Amino acid sequence: MLKYFINTVFLLSCVITFAQKNSTQQDTIIKNKYGLRVGVDLFNPVNTFFDNERKGLELVGDYRISKKLYVAAELGYLENTTDEDFLNFTTSGTYLKAGIDYNAYENWLDMENAIYVGFRYGYSTFSQTLNSFTINNDAFLDGLATAEEGQKFDNLNAQWAEIVLGVKAEILNNLYLGFSFSGKKMITTKEPDGFKNLFVPGFNRVFLNNSGFGFNYTISYLIPLYKKEK
Amino acid sequence: MKKKVTYTLLILLILIAINSCERDDICIDAITPHLIIRFYNNDIQTNFKNANLLSLKILGVDNDSITLSATDSIAIPVKSTDDLTKYILTISNTDGSINRDTFSLTYQREDIFVGRSCGFKTIFTSTNYTLQTGSENWIRSISPVTQTIKDETAAHVKIFH
Repeated sequence: MLKYFINTVFLLSCVITFAQKNSTQQDTIIKNKYGLRVGVDLFNPVNTFFDNERKGLELVGDYRISKKLYVAAELGYLENTTDEDFLNFTTSGTYLKAGIDYNAYENWLDMENAIYVGFRYGYSTFSQTLNSFTINNDAFLDGLATAEEGQKFDNLNAQWAEIVLGVKAEILNNLYLGFSFSGKKMITTKEPDGFKNLFVPGFNRVFLNNSGFGFNYTISYLIPLYKKEK
Repeated sequence: MKKKVTYTLLILLILIAINSCERDDICIDAITPHLIIRFYNNDIQTNFKNANLLSLKILGVDNDSITLSATDSIAIPVKSTDDLTKYILTISNTDGSINRDTFSLTYQREDIFVGRSCGFKTIFTSTNYTLQTGSENWIRSISPVTQTIKDETAAHVKIFH
């Protein structure tokens, strides 16, 4: 009786081995798509629709260099009006961000989704127009306060670093929808004389400790160039 | 290993986000300085002397006058929309009668940017005080301490009475 049992186990083990070997042979080779992905940011156009204080366009792109790594860049133009208690100013300018995205998501089979972290270096050239300001004086004199006309400050620039956290999903073949958050830290700025860069295109509102936030909602298309196993 | 990197970056991002929440939309910095006046005894010119103040009126301001009380120092607003501010200081004499003295302050203005929430402030330079003399001035003389009003750390002018 025991003999039969042992034989059965042995036979089964052979079957198992055989099955494993067989499955390896049957595995399809999964190839990842490599190429240039280009897209546009949808956050600014949507925002413009709701309030006219922010107008801009941002083009996004990335190029896959390995299974997990992408070289990524954003190029944009932004015109934003900030209204504060005692001042109102418009910032307009262009910016470029470049860096690396690392996809931390393990895809199933040939799926091409991404949950990524990234790093960016950002640079912007812009101008600030102080539309109007009111001198902040004792409340007793409020009746006299009049909005004064400000001036325009040209040739300003800023450099900063960003950490990006985002998601991209392939919704149709080669068409991706994604969103990302970014935390920014200013490195250097050329400040206007007698004013301050309170808003920088691409950086958004500059907080007191020189940090900032960003949110992107992008639609992009992958131009497939080649396929690779890894 | 890769997961560790991802988590580290995630935590870093959250830290930056939290760190960014520092408030800068409440004005806490010094705005346009007030004119600080100290009242001195005209007889013993090194001694402070309380002025029995009732009110202050600034010419050209629609608001009611500012009510004051007996003190040896006051901080009063200076117009940042004009190069001249004219003040009427009213005191109550010891016999109960009311005495009004008018003096004017002329200056040059300079607008300085403070910050997002505070906006701009004005500092005043080349200040000059003129006492309008009448029949019964309670103010005997005005003696400037400094020519510029840029902060509120010390008195800008001495009034002897």
